Amino acid sequence: MYRPEHKAIPGRPFLTILRYNRPYLKSYLIGGILSVFFVVIGLGLPFIVRGVVRSFTEGQVTMRLLWLYFAALIAIAVTTGFARYWERMLIIRASRKCEYDLRNDYFRHIQTLSQDFFHRTQTGDLMARATNDLNYVRMFIGPGIMGTIDMIQLPLTLAILAWFSSRLLLYTLIPLPFVSIIVYFIIMYMHRQSQRVQAQYADLTAQVQENLAGARVVQAYGIGERETESFTAESESYMRENVKLAAVMSLAWPLIGLIVGLMIVLVLWLGGFMVINGVLALDDFTGFVVAMLLLLWPLVEFGWILTLYQRGIVGMARMNDIFREKPSVRDDEDTQQAFTVTRGGIRFDTVSFSYDSRAVLQDLDFTILPGQTVAIVGPTGSGKTTVVSLIMREYDVNAGTVFIDDLDVRRIPLRALRQAVGYVPQDTFLFSESIRENITFGKPDATDEQIRYACEVAQLTETIDALPGGIDTLLGERGVNLSGGQKQRLAIARAVIADPKILILDDAMSSVDTQTEEKILERLRLVMEQRTSIIISHRISTVRNADLILVVDDGRIVERGSHESLLALRGLYADLHERQLLEEELEHL
Amino acid sequence: MSQTEAYHVEDEVQQRAYDAQLMRRLLAYVRPYRTFMVAAVLLLFVSALFSSVVPLLNWRAISLYINNPARIEMEHRVQSGDSAAAPALRDQAATDKRGLYKVVVLIAVLMVAEAVIRFAQMLIVAWLGQKAMLKMRVEIFSHLQKMSLRFLDRNPVGRLVTRVTNDVEKLQETIISGIVQVINDLSIVFVILGFMLYNNWRLALIMLSPIPFVFVTGVVFRKYARDSYLEIRRRIARLNSCMQENVSGMRIVSIFNREALRFEQYRRFNADHRDEWFSQVRYYAIYFPIVDFLGTLSVALIILYGGHQILRGQVLFGAAADIGMFFAYVQWSERLYGPIRTLADRYNLLLEAMASSERVFELLDTPEDIPNRPGAPAVSNLRGEVQFNDIWFAYEPGQWVLKGIQLDIRPGERVAIVGHTGAGKTSLVNILSRFYDVQRGSVCVDGIDVRDYEKTSLRRNIGVVLQDVFLFSGSIEQNIRLSNPDLPSDKIRACAEYVNAGKFIERLPSAYAYNVGERGANLSTGQRQLLAFARVLAHNPRILVLDEATSSIDPESEALIQDAIAKLMQDRTSIVIAHRLSTVQHADRIVVMHHGEIREIGTHQQLLARRGLYYTLYRLQYKDQDISRP
Ligand SMILES: Nc1ncnc2c1ncn2[C@@H]1O[C@H](COP(=O)(O)OP(=O)(O)O)[C@@H](O)[C@H]1O
Ligand SMILES: Nc1ncnc2c1ncn2[C@@H]1O[C@H](COP(=O)(O)OP(=O)(O)O)[C@@H](O)[C@H]1O
Ligand SMILES: [Mg+2]
Ligand SMILES: [Mg+2]
Repeated sequence: MYRPEHKAIPGRPFLTILRYNRPYLKSYLIGGILSVFFVVIGLGLPFIVRGVVRSFTEGQVTMRLLWLYFAALIAIAVTTGFARYWERMLIIRASRKCEYDLRNDYFRHIQTLSQDFFHRTQTGDLMARATNDLNYVRMFIGPGIMGTIDMIQLPLTLAILAWFSSRLLLYTLIPLPFVSIIVYFIIMYMHRQSQRVQAQYADLTAQVQENLAGARVVQAYGIGERETESFTAESESYMRENVKLAAVMSLAWPLIGLIVGLMIVLVLWLGGFMVINGVLALDDFTGFVVAMLLLLWPLVEFGWILTLYQRGIVGMARMNDIFREKPSVRDDEDTQQAFTVTRGGIRFDTVSFSYDSRAVLQDLDFTILPGQTVAIVGPTGSGKTTVVSLIMREYDVNAGTVFIDDLDVRRIPLRALRQAVGYVPQDTFLFSESIRENITFGKPDATDEQIRYACEVAQLTETIDALPGGIDTLLGERGVNLSGGQKQRLAIARAVIADPKILILDDAMSSVDTQTEEKILERLRLVMEQRTSIIISHRISTVRNADLILVVDDGRIVERGSHESLLALRGLYADLHERQLLEEELEHL
Repeated sequence: MSQTEAYHVEDEVQQRAYDAQLMRRLLAYVRPYRTFMVAAVLLLFVSALFSSVVPLLNWRAISLYINNPARIEMEHRVQSGDSAAAPALRDQAATDKRGLYKVVVLIAVLMVAEAVIRFAQMLIVAWLGQKAMLKMRVEIFSHLQKMSLRFLDRNPVGRLVTRVTNDVEKLQETIISGIVQVINDLSIVFVILGFMLYNNWRLALIMLSPIPFVFVTGVVFRKYARDSYLEIRRRIARLNSCMQENVSGMRIVSIFNREALRFEQYRRFNADHRDEWFSQVRYYAIYFPIVDFLGTLSVALIILYGGHQILRGQVLFGAAADIGMFFAYVQWSERLYGPIRTLADRYNLLLEAMASSERVFELLDTPEDIPNRPGAPAVSNLRGEVQFNDIWFAYEPGQWVLKGIQLDIRPGERVAIVGHTGAGKTSLVNILSRFYDVQRGSVCVDGIDVRDYEKTSLRRNIGVVLQDVFLFSGSIEQNIRLSNPDLPSDKIRACAEYVNAGKFIERLPSAYAYNVGERGANLSTGQRQLLAFARVLAHNPRILVLDEATSSIDPESEALIQDAIAKLMQDRTSIVIAHRLSTVQHADRIVVMHHGEIREIGTHQQLLARRGLYYTLYRLQYKDQDISRP
């Protein structure tokens, strides 16, 4: 059964964020209660000011009274201080926990996705979402939510204002509808623009990433300058989008500040008139103004929170684009969970496959008995690698069925399937860890004995011994500090050590010299005897001893049989053989 | 796992929140726009002035009009039955209203002006920051183009990407606006201090007495926050490079069933990162309430001491102190604490920006370790003579990879290099293209040391098909063209045809416009090699170097390629590294390398006759055919 490894709700960034916050609801609730608590206490300030003013106007002030007020204020400050401490601890910590969950889910989700996804997505793009966009989401959750909770004071303050003078409050609220309209438009624009900016940022990241990954080519062709030119163009358009966004923000903040300020001016004016007319007591007026001032900061903060919301929502939507992806290859309800590959027999039953619309394999039919060694030869791009990809179920077939041990691979649990296969890919990928960690990649609990054996098979022992760090030598990215052949041999050791039921060598010795190859093959033969093996190679010497040789051309099997029978067929294989012979004979002339 | 990054150079910076030298360098980016910068600062100052005047006007509005003692006096009289005072009261009320109205209009005007100024100022600052950082971003990128492979090998791609994107982004967001904000905050603080001291210096001093504590708190806070912050930076870098590598190697991870383990590692890094944030959060959670408390203390002091002054009937500017004064001072104190409160945040932003800028400058200061000699001539019309004069070369000090290589290649000669993996063949090519410089000896092209050529022009004349093919995501045509606008499309097509790639390209959904995906993932490995071939031929180099360039290509295509090379590369020097002897035996001379030394040189026949290393290789490769031969 496929269950997504995340809680995201694609298409609903806001709901997704809420969902990630759910486990921490308690923190938010307590934080919220604390917030209400200190807001309520903090609202004592206008009352105290009102009290002071009243005492003055009534002429009953004494030093003792002033000290009393002083003590009251300090008491308020101390209590709010504690409340604020806990509010922060609870809410911001919860936001970090959310971030942690989100990161984990993102990583785990990417892990579940299939090869087709990685072929159409750039690493830089995925990284931009995991860094830049995720950060915006976090800002939404932490400061954003705390700001929102702080907004609780808005209604409370309004209530107090009403209590002081409802008429004055009414006057001050007149501009509010206009404010909402303006704010609405600003938000809309900000949202659209944030999207553009964040997408452009990802493009920029991807471009730099590729340029650096391909530094050898860039340097070899001396195209650094031209690369810089195109990067400049990309950066400029990023800058333009950014400036547009900045322009709205520069407008939004002072505007909100101005509106709030004007509200106070309105209070001063109308309230002042009311006092002069004698309809409003001076103490109520002062209390009102002080409460109004308390309102000022949250209102301005509101503008900031809006920005956070916008960028957070856009960031989440962009992460959701990835969460929306489903693995095209996955276990489902037909999967036989208990199945393990025991023998390693493989059968292709009229298998057809295409990557895009273009057919790559057509009506493939063949059987590999358990323990057999099968070779696949054929021109470049004929579909050899694709055949083995289908055995490992990196893709699902379009028609026909691939069987392993007489079970449709689509019903074999992916884990069991891949456990059964040891694969040496055509292009080697190594991790920037030690050689030991790379060799034991498929079998982290390998004993030293097993490691030694695998190195022996791959003819690595000598090479490793020559390194100053030995087997604990650290590799650079993709193993840059090894030669091409050394990398390939490491990949062979990595596949052999796991003792798989099915061993697949995809052109695995293309960068290995003949002599070493011969030695490796000699030892591999022992390994291959005990399991099903598939070898892809261009060298006749490598494939001639196979039990079965499949000749693939243009996605079809055009010839099959043993070395001798294929030679007798006088077809493509015989040509290939002839060519290699001829070359040699030419030299003997 | 902690040592996973150890192959790469450490990513450490010394941390100072403020560093005059760094700051000067940063400001250099703003220099071209300094008029705007000055304008922004002036605008700021004006707006700070405006906003600080408002409390004063409020004070006046209250003391002179709303709470006008004369009017209140009359009110009392009217209330106590003195009806004669009523008309005077009405007059006075009208006057007060008029006065109040004027003040209110003045305040409103000031506020609007302030908002407009702020808008202008923010816009200038944003635009300026973007402009300046664009320059920096491009500068870093273009500097990276000049860095040597030695450097690039030692710095993970993810980290360098961070320099260009994230670090610059941080600077853009914080530096310019940060500087301006600090100026803003300072001007607000000083203007307000001025107003407060001028109007009632005793009250001001008493009210300001908590300020020293604010500073002490700040200093303590900074100490803790900083260490924790540095740790966070380290952990986030580790987290991101872990993800980056896993995304790149996802195919291997999934085939080897290592998802769970890899996730576990990531989760641990992630947890470390979160935990460090927890301590950071605590510092903030303590800091803010303390500052807030001190702020309220100031207000309380205003009430206490201001009340005392009013009680004593203190006279300020010819009028008795009254509640209007409270009002102004409370407002001022709020405005004063605003910047102080955000100082902590500003400080962290600044810290972050400084760390970013330090890393950026460190990168920009990393000298090109393969520099052009000043005035080095560009390569033109190469004959294609290559000499390796007693070359000694090592990647790591002391570990010689090439040991005394001596080899002369005549113009137009075809030389093949064979040898075991790790013998140093690729390294030899690397030093010819000057990807690395040799430690001893010299490589000469046309009799001139490669270090005396302008290196880009040298490399353009040496076409290398690298052992690890790299394709950029983009179309096939772009990958052959490599942003060279002078290459006509026909030529590109012709070269693709020549190497037998035309056939498969034509069958792709959009042929030459087909997007090959990241690293050419949408093509087979052999097809990628074919494209790399087409690419080098299209660029028409004087010296052609093929480093196992046909290893993944079937022999038939290879034969076609050999023909193509023969045709296209007539009279050009070529160096071919290969394991398949069928590929090398047509060479004019074959060089056999072993453990970084040249063991044998000669033609195919000569070498066979010598019965040395080459002979053994040869026997091995053809022994199967030998057996099968009738
Ligand atoms: N990920 C992919 N997306 C689209 N097309 C692909 C992809 N991988 C391979 N192909 C195409 O499928 C065909 C067969 O490729 P492959 O099986 O790798 O050939 P080879 O026989 O050289 O191993 C080629 O034409 C190649 O262009
Ligand atoms: N970038 C590098 N950093 C450190 N060592 C390297 C680097 N590249 C290659 N080496 C080492 O130098 C030796 C020669 O490598 P290379 O020239 O690639 O051999 P090959 O003859 O197979 O092409 C090998 O032992 C390899 O481990
Ligand atoms: Mg292949
Ligand atoms: Mg090599």
